[in-house]
Amino acid sequence: MSSHTDATPTLGVGILGAGPVTQAIHLPSLARLGDILTVRHIMDVDAAVAESVAARVGAAHSTSIDALLGDPAVQIVAICSPHQFHAEQVIAACRAGKKAVLCEKPFAMNAEEAARISAVSEETGVPIIVGAMHTFDPGWLAAMENRDDLTGTAHTIRSSIVLPPNARFEDFATEIITRPAGSAPDYSDPEVIKGALRGGIMGLAIHDLPLIRRFTPDFKDIEVLEARHVRPFGYVISLRTPTRTIELRAAMNNTWKPEWSFEAFSDDAALRIDFTPSYVQAGSAVATFSRGSGTTVHGPFDHNGYEGEWRELAALATGAKQPPAAQTLIDDLTFALDIADATAASLDAGQAAREAAQPSVPEGAHA
Amino acid sequence: MSSQYSVRATPEAREAGAVALAVASLPESFGPAVGENPADVVVIAGQPGWTGEAATAVTAGARGVVVVNPAAENTDSLQAAAQQAGAAVVLDQRWASNPAIPAAEDAVRSMVGRAAILDSVATAPVGTDTGDLLADHLAAVVRVTGPLGKLRVLARGPHGYTSTAVLANGAPVALQGIASGARPAGVTITLLTDDGGVSVALPEPHAAWPAMVKVTGPQGELLLPTIYESAHRATWRRLKEHLDAGTKPSDLQRFAATSESLATLT
Repeated sequence: MSSHTDATPTLGVGILGAGPVTQAIHLPSLARLGDILTVRHIMDVDAAVAESVAARVGAAHSTSIDALLGDPAVQIVAICSPHQFHAEQVIAACRAGKKAVLCEKPFAMNAEEAARISAVSEETGVPIIVGAMHTFDPGWLAAMENRDDLTGTAHTIRSSIVLPPNARFEDFATEIITRPAGSAPDYSDPEVIKGALRGGIMGLAIHDLPLIRRFTPDFKDIEVLEARHVRPFGYVISLRTPTRTIELRAAMNNTWKPEWSFEAFSDDAALRIDFTPSYVQAGSAVATFSRGSGTTVHGPFDHNGYEGEWRELAALATGAKQPPAAQTLIDDLTFALDIADATAASLDAGQAAREAAQPSVPEGAHA
Repeated sequence: MSSQYSVRATPEAREAGAVALAVASLPESFGPAVGENPADVVVIAGQPGWTGEAATAVTAGARGVVVVNPAAENTDSLQAAAQQAGAAVVLDQRWASNPAIPAAEDAVRSMVGRAAILDSVATAPVGTDTGDLLADHLAAVVRVTGPLGKLRVLARGPHGYTSTAVLANGAPVALQGIASGARPAGVTITLLTDDGGVSVALPEPHAAWPAMVKVTGPQGELLLPTIYESAHRATWRRLKEHLDAGTKPSDLQRFAATSESLATLT
């Protein structure tokens, strides 16, 4: 592990996991916030990656979580490790007495874990935010400030995502080392489809599910009408609650043209938010309200939700802002998990129905 | 100067099809029928039973029939009657008759075999009958994609509907209807392939605002030429061309595909 000796009045940041998200998203965002935040420590299980990424920002490096959490120069911890490690690492960061924690989504794999994390956060007084970047986007925040009663009156909500390969935008943001290897899934296997849809919900849709939930007061009564896989990776999921119709669309393909939008409609008002692509620092989303013959536009603002996350963390760490309610984080997570579970159940039901509908082959017959 | 065809419309059709405006915008080609003289062109509204009404008109000697917003109905008898009488029957459909549709159809058909997903949304004012909205919506989609498979309605209510289908290659089709007065009514159709796609935005037919058809590929995005002509006027212009040339439009045959799709929903 290397060391650092300089001292500045900025808040020190430690990052667990130095993969493409850290390299292409967090470090460029932090580079724009050098007056309030400084990267002090990079941890990765791959020592060479940790060293290389840390060298870019003059930070210490290690392969040990304990080393990072024990580093007194680190006041804010960002958890960018694989999903299954999030819960334990968030709890460890809280127990280490840090000032604030950013956990990449999802911050837990089930509601019990989420409740446990929230309890530790409350006990230690360490605020936690989840890296659902769109909830920190100034375009979204402006929409929330100007929504009037739309969160209560909306009846139809749409999330639509078309994404080029991640590498296209990672390469616009930085110079990546150690990209994870790709694979060619067997989509003839229903279990692979089920896994792909679950991954789509917990890895992609989850960016906007907190937004959708704000417009869905009866979110606990979510029902999957139909869920379909889009090749090579994506989904079409039709949902409803007693008062809302919700459509989720996503396609990750080889196009150059990204589109990421959120829409909500009531009888007399509509909101559309067009988000900028992930990875690049392309400013905020633009929120457009339509009300009959008139439209009102908010944005673009000069920074995106990733930078917004870090600004929020700095404000939390200095006590300038109060942390979000623990129940909000738990509800956001359980909403996503409920959709993922219901999607899997609907696929199982569909598969069972198809098998039941197939004519049985007489014993001894040859196909 | 070309010959002018006389026109007579039922009151319902006159309003629904903005007939006076369309005819006035083609003053060399069409004009109102005078007195009780038989009209060259009869305009009827497409409520249930319209095929019989149209057949009666062609049997009585109308050379052309315009049907405004036709409801799903079997057109076999009408096709036979029109064929026998040598009459031209054109359909003035809310979105499917937009003059940008032929170019949109070409663009979509050239990519639909490689489609990954087709997503389409129709919006209409609050109070619109969702069955009528779905019929207008499907007519536009089927016009550019061809017949859809496994079409069904997942949910329907006063705020709209959610429908599902598949393209010929098995790619998912998602059709959503939304009742809201927040935005101008219209239809969007988005076809995505692995490296691009086609997006189509069709406006309401009561003004000459243009549809937007964009084709996206590896080399960039192309906005097809905009056509500042309403669906109503485009319908009348097509009729004029057929009447002048003595050719027969394929509207009824095409409409059979939409009716077939709708029939699977009932």
